[in-house]
Amino acid sequence: MNTLREKLTTLLTNKYLQIFFLLTLLVGAGYMKAGTLQILSFALISILFTQSIYILTGMTGQISLGHAAFFGVGAYGTAILSKTLGLSLLFSIPIAGIAASLVAFILSYPAGRVKEVYLAMMTLGFGQIFLEVARELTALTGGVMGLSGVPSAGLGTLIVLGMKLSTVDYFQFLLLITACSVIFVRNFSQSRLGRSLFLVHYSELAAGSVGIVRRQTKQLAYALSGLFAGFAGAFYAHLVGYLGPDSFTISRSIEVLVIAIVGGLWSIGGQILSAIFFTFLPEQLQVFTQYQFIAYGLILTFTLILFRRGIGGLLFSASRFIRTSIRKVSDKNKISSDFLSIKANHTNILVKDITMKFGGLVAVNHVSLDIPARQITALVGPNGSGKSTLVNVIAGVFPPTAGRVLLNDSDVTSRSDAQMAKLGVIRTFQDPRLVPHFTVRENILLGAHAQMSYSWLEAGLGLPRAYKQELLALEQCDSIIELLDIAEVADQPVESLPYGYRRMTELGRALMARPRVILLDEPAAGLSDLEMQSLGVILKKLKSLGITILLIEHHMDFLADLVDEVVVLDSGSIIFRGTMLAMREDAAVIEAYLGTEGVEHA
Amino acid sequence: MKKNKFNHQLSIIMASLLLSGLSVQVQAQDTIKLGMTTALTGPFNEFGEGNRRGVVLAIEMFNKNGGVNGKKVELAEALDDQLVPDRAVQNMRRILDNKDIVAIIAPAGSGPSLATMDMLEADGRPVCNPLAQSPQVTLKNGEGKPPRANIISMAITNKSEATAMGQALGAKYKNVGILHESTAYGVTGSEMTKAAMLAKNPGVKVEVESYNQRSQDMASQVARMQRAGVEAVLVIGLGADFAVIRKNMSRLNVKADLYGSTGAVTPPYIEGAGNLALGTRTMSPTAFGLRPLKPAAQTFVDQYRAAHGTDRWYGPDEANPQLTLGTIVAQAYDCTRILLESMKAAGSTQPAAVIAAMNKLTDFKGVTNDSISFTPDNHDAFSAKDLSLFEMSKGKDGKLFLLPVKE
Amino acid sequence: MDFFVSLVIAGACVGSVYALVAVGLNMTFWTTKTLNFGQGAVMMLSAMSTALLVQYGLSDVVSIVFGLLLVALTGVLVERIAIRPALKTAGSMGWVIATLGFGIVIQGVTARYFGSQAVAFPEVLFQVQDVVTIWGQSISLQYLAVLCISLVLIIVLECLTRFTVLGTAIQACAQDMELAVVQGLPVNLIISGSFVLSSLLAGVAGILVAQISGTVDPAFGFELVMFGFVAAVLGGMGNSGGALLGGIILGITSKLVGGYISTAAEHGIAFGLLILMLAIRPQGFFGRAEVNKA
Repeated sequence: MNTLREKLTTLLTNKYLQIFFLLTLLVGAGYMKAGTLQILSFALISILFTQSIYILTGMTGQISLGHAAFFGVGAYGTAILSKTLGLSLLFSIPIAGIAASLVAFILSYPAGRVKEVYLAMMTLGFGQIFLEVARELTALTGGVMGLSGVPSAGLGTLIVLGMKLSTVDYFQFLLLITACSVIFVRNFSQSRLGRSLFLVHYSELAAGSVGIVRRQTKQLAYALSGLFAGFAGAFYAHLVGYLGPDSFTISRSIEVLVIAIVGGLWSIGGQILSAIFFTFLPEQLQVFTQYQFIAYGLILTFTLILFRRGIGGLLFSASRFIRTSIRKVSDKNKISSDFLSIKANHTNILVKDITMKFGGLVAVNHVSLDIPARQITALVGPNGSGKSTLVNVIAGVFPPTAGRVLLNDSDVTSRSDAQMAKLGVIRTFQDPRLVPHFTVRENILLGAHAQMSYSWLEAGLGLPRAYKQELLALEQCDSIIELLDIAEVADQPVESLPYGYRRMTELGRALMARPRVILLDEPAAGLSDLEMQSLGVILKKLKSLGITILLIEHHMDFLADLVDEVVVLDSGSIIFRGTMLAMREDAAVIEAYLGTEGVEHA
Repeated sequence: MKKNKFNHQLSIIMASLLLSGLSVQVQAQDTIKLGMTTALTGPFNEFGEGNRRGVVLAIEMFNKNGGVNGKKVELAEALDDQLVPDRAVQNMRRILDNKDIVAIIAPAGSGPSLATMDMLEADGRPVCNPLAQSPQVTLKNGEGKPPRANIISMAITNKSEATAMGQALGAKYKNVGILHESTAYGVTGSEMTKAAMLAKNPGVKVEVESYNQRSQDMASQVARMQRAGVEAVLVIGLGADFAVIRKNMSRLNVKADLYGSTGAVTPPYIEGAGNLALGTRTMSPTAFGLRPLKPAAQTFVDQYRAAHGTDRWYGPDEANPQLTLGTIVAQAYDCTRILLESMKAAGSTQPAAVIAAMNKLTDFKGVTNDSISFTPDNHDAFSAKDLSLFEMSKGKDGKLFLLPVKE
Repeated sequence: MDFFVSLVIAGACVGSVYALVAVGLNMTFWTTKTLNFGQGAVMMLSAMSTALLVQYGLSDVVSIVFGLLLVALTGVLVERIAIRPALKTAGSMGWVIATLGFGIVIQGVTARYFGSQAVAFPEVLFQVQDVVTIWGQSISLQYLAVLCISLVLIIVLECLTRFTVLGTAIQACAQDMELAVVQGLPVNLIISGSFVLSSLLAGVAGILVAQISGTVDPAFGFELVMFGFVAAVLGGMGNSGGALLGGIILGITSKLVGGYISTAAEHGIAFGLLILMLAIRPQGFFGRAEVNKA
């Protein structure tokens, strides 16, 4: 089954085949019936629209039940500009698309703050508001009477630059645009920004920990999604020539969601097939119209549960999020992991009198602490003693109720987690927060997000700057994989791997973020003895590269010949600081944590 | 992507098979073909399916009497669009692609009709609009300007209904409220009725409110009317919503006279409002309210009853078929008859000839309008004078039905 | 003055129904942190089956009881078919889409086999014309009856939650599901029970609204769920008193906006309030802000 999928995928992604197919359609357009041309044009618009859902829902995990609104902004936008104001299509279409993007951007402010069902309701409400506005602003949108006379190829009124476009011309134009947009979106999904959307979806905290600014990322996702939806709407307007509010109801929002889900939320290819299928189905199967509602309902109810990956999952190999062309080059270049020492910079952290309260609970109580440069410091203590909270404060996840955090003498107390990550303070989590369907390599590559700087536009267009930065990052990624000795599973999705590998992957991601200080939260938990040994070796190597390390741990043996200093927390306060040996003898520590029963195994 | 190519090849193969194999079919294909797309299913199917039945009955009648120009007539394409504009556009494109179809019946609603009118006009083949009330269906450029060349309409346009209703209201009241649904039908109807009222009685006060279809409670709108002190309320919308409004009026103790548009005074209204519907008035085709019915109407009514019995379009009372039988089914019936008669008169199915014949139609005996005439400047069968006021009354068996008002 | 009072009473009445829906949504939110997006179809089912059964000749009471039983069954089904599997496999989005789909299927099947036309709803609560005069203001008995029934049900539910064993069990599940399991509570039964309760409330709400409007059709209920949700959010998700207040405030505000500003805005005001509340104070008027240790 897998090989069949692979063969099919290789076949369909073959560049020459794709070009050949495109050419056939382009040339064949001149010989098709008007009805076929029209329905194919509808299918192309549907593909464009579905891509907007891919970006927002598939990649970023934000559910939208009101996408018809952005589609509508694009449609009405270009209709009003071209018909009422007489603007050339060369301007009205892009302006309409950008307008839709702007609306989506604005919506991202309230929407980015809520999740799941609240988001669903909010987008639903937004879609309804748009409908009301379209109905009421009669002077602008024609209200319920609609807007007719929109320049359209089918009516022979589509004139660009003095040339009249026929339905064949329009179809060819649409085909090229759609093909370009598919390539753009695919490039984007295989870029640092595309991958970051997935991480924001699966773990906002993990995203922050590698320097991904959540709010900006969500805004980007909404804006891009709105852009594609708006363009789809604009092309729709010039296809049908008449716009009525009835075309922008919740049915359209639901329909595009159904198409995306059936195609497979993570599969561009699957969604393309799905869009074509759903465009042709009502046309070919007249009886479908009656059952359409029931069919959509059944699809929505069961697909995510039974066929999570949709058509894409069934027919194609899993999508990958690193460009193959870059992989081919990076696989050949080998660099050493010494690059990690470049930014290390002998950094120390000073924690001054930090108190952290959650409502009435005091988690951290006037803790002052020194994490010296180029040392491995351990933070131990019973559960609930405030270790993770302290790390969260240092890492910038939330600001402390009182106290300060200094990084090499500069005050970083009020910095956010993403800002701290960019300053080189990287942390890992108690349970690895990875993108489950990404491979080890793709997850590790996420760490390099803040180290690269190319924009979404450069990503989508595949410009050289993007290429170069990705290549370098990949090479570094490979070297880290070597360092962590996980090369044999590097191309497997992490959800299928045992716990130990996932730990390593998260560590790898942290390293890609070029840490000056690395805060590890129970890195040895769940590891076998062998794995723990490897981890110890790796940590020592990191220390030698100049990285400051703080470890939260319970495994005394693991810490024994690894750490330079250990700090013991109990109920939010420090009760001991010194060497491992001294800690073992300290009465307070024994009382609170180590315990006295049984014989001490030295 | 692969599927497209496959479909394309498949259709080429099938086409070749058809052409090569079946020469017998060539003769049978020589019929007069009509096409339509409308709401055959879905929430508006009482209109679309009703239209279709009218078309089929007319075709049957013509075929029984020897067909047209020696050929039988058939409804070659009856597509379902549930009155969704996009679907109507796609279906219409498919119909227009079929060059064998010589005449088309328009969809049963203003939304999809408006969406397809431009492409129908560009195509040029004769089209008849049975039901959609928006005047823009024929009058693309507004009143006083020539109508679309190839499109005629049997519908009671908003204009004619509004003029008739507006004149009646303006003559009788000084303070009127109009409550309309927020659709093309509602908005145009409302504007035109208000204009007609003001034309008849410049001093009349008109309060206009709107509502969304299928709202559960219209208390705000009705309260506003009450506050404005209206003597009469006209509702322009559909039956189910009209029932809600009627109940709201009762609950808020509004004592105004109640009028409804043709789309509102329908079986859902009667079912929903029950006895509260008594006394409601509406404008309806005079011809269909005459007892006894004129011959053309009687033939139609008998033909329908023979084919379908006293069903939801006919109504329970054999002697008194519902007015909707006329406004929905018969108008499509007359549409088809006119198209086919014009083909007969022209002796051909060439668009130009048929249209010329349609433009010369004089005193055609329709079911809901017993004297229909078209000219190059007028393509609408109905005008205000063909409508008169009817009132909901109770019959001997307790059932409600519309009786002409004798004033 | 009349005008204002009419609007307020109508608003309070529809608002109390929104509150009923909101309380129903809260039920499942307590036990599973989910809600049935297809709740509108549930409302339609109870109203539609009641209307049809009365048409076929059964008595009002029997029809209503049957309608409510039907939706209780639906509640069990939706939890089994759409919620439970979705929570296991498809994460946060899964159940939203699955329950939405479930509602659409119910709507589609009803439309296919019973037609899409509106069906008349019988007069079970007084007659439309029945009014009572209080302080010179004539008020529709139907509005009053709906208002009273909703209030009574909500109060009964609040008592149930606070003073009975079942109620305490539901609260336990809401606070800490794992602990409840460990303590030996029949969690699956409680979850099913919360869905049944939720559907019953929706069923009653559906019948009440259908009584007011007079007809039911398959698309009935969709908007009501949205308004119920807005009411729940306004009051604070999971808070019964909040839901009641939220619903009434929503009802009265929309009617007043509709009456004094424009009837077109009446619709949009609910969503405007929703977006505003979610953006400014997501925990609603009476909820407590969630604090996450992260």
